[in-house]
Amino acid sequence: MYRKQVRRRRAILVVLVVACLMLISISISEAESGPLHSVQRGVSTILSPIGEGASRALKPARDLVDWFDETWEARGENEDLRRQVAALRAELVKTRDAAEQAGYADKLAGLIKGGELTGYTPVDASVIGRSFSLWYGTIKIDAGSSDGVSRNDAVITEDGLIGRISQVTGGTSEVALITGGSNAVTARVVGGGPEGLISGVVGAPGKLDFSLIQGDKEVKDGDRLVTAGFTSEDGLSSRYPADIPIGEVVETIPAEQEQREQVNVEPFADLADLSQVTVLTGGGG
Amino acid sequence: MIVTPPILIRLALVVFVSVLLQFGFFSQVPILGSVANLLPVVVVAIGLLGGAVAGAVSGFATGLLIDAMIGGTPGVASLSLMAAGYLAGRWREGYDIVSSLVPPLLAGALSALAALIYGGLTLTLGIDAPVSVLALREALVQGLLGILLMVPVFPLVRRIVRPALVDDAGRARSRTVAGPRHSGRRGRFGMMRGQGSL
Repeated sequence: MYRKQVRRRRAILVVLVVACLMLISISISEAESGPLHSVQRGVSTILSPIGEGASRALKPARDLVDWFDETWEARGENEDLRRQVAALRAELVKTRDAAEQAGYADKLAGLIKGGELTGYTPVDASVIGRSFSLWYGTIKIDAGSSDGVSRNDAVITEDGLIGRISQVTGGTSEVALITGGSNAVTARVVGGGPEGLISGVVGAPGKLDFSLIQGDKEVKDGDRLVTAGFTSEDGLSSRYPADIPIGEVVETIPAEQEQREQVNVEPFADLADLSQVTVLTGGGG
Repeated sequence: MIVTPPILIRLALVVFVSVLLQFGFFSQVPILGSVANLLPVVVVAIGLLGGAVAGAVSGFATGLLIDAMIGGTPGVASLSLMAAGYLAGRWREGYDIVSSLVPPLLAGALSALAALIYGGLTLTLGIDAPVSVLALREALVQGLLGILLMVPVFPLVRRIVRPALVDDAGRARSRTVAGPRHSGRRGRFGMMRGQGSL
């Protein structure tokens, strides 16, 4: 009797492990339009309203936790902030001039309002879910194809670019964050600086790496990066509109022999704590 | 655990509500640079109460459900949660739960293991995600949070599936026959080796 139980247990375990491996294998090898992905999208479409409802119902609980968290942090940071305010006030006068010259802050405000970015319609959305692991750089939002959202639309917050739409269902979408491994964004340094490619940093979720395309120009700490939004002669264009703020250079490590110069960038948007986002739809991305 | 259709429905509801809570609450509240993961904790609780098969099957189903909701690669979460549920069930079948600390500590260890398996699979498969030594930090944080979560989760799951537990049914019968004083030699959770498995 006991041996029979053991055999049954092992058989079930083997079946489940094989099922998992088959699912992983099929999911990786098949195209986005394959049957497994279609089934997954179908299930996601069915479950999305339930998940969205749960997310909304649990928002007061999240807000409560956030309130405690922010109050706790605020108490500790109060004194430090008082000291920093004086220093920052002086710095603000200098940086305001530079920022106004670059115009990126004003442009973003206009971008979100839909006033200055011709051809793009901003769609506001709430974040209704995110992965339980640091390693998947995705979030789920409550706007989908019924709101005009399409695959590869750029997603921003008031602080800057956060990613692009990677999957769409009727009422929800999945956003691949710029810090994830699947995204690369052409960017340029504000003020006539060099252009390059922004991508996630392996081993540092939340950080970005700026690899130069034009290697002859210098990048220094504090430089600010915006999307380049290129369009080539043969009609190839960037998924992202131009001049959306991305982040600030926080560290530059000079090239040594074969290694290229390493430029670490901190995104302007707080990707770990997103609640409201805006999708730029209708840009042909 | 004696799995009858009503108990199966209860277990399915436990899994579904856990996934909704994870999706709508725990995943969106950053703690110590990571997020709490309720799912391995619930799966370990089911494994401890129902045995290896119940743990593995619930882990598999929970993984599929969460992957469908967050759009992850199907099978990855299932495999990591299945390992946690199966090992919890094997522990239950091999050892007594003699201390109230055992379920939380086991949940912590198996949550960390599930996080490591998840990270390892992600790294091995080259899924669109940058993975590093931070996997260890996340596993540690999820393990610690798993310990804390198990404190309320285990009694709650146990209460939900109580009618199916051989252990509790036996205890109820012995109380009826011998009165409340007769309890036998049992652990603080009232469990003995080999009881309660599917």
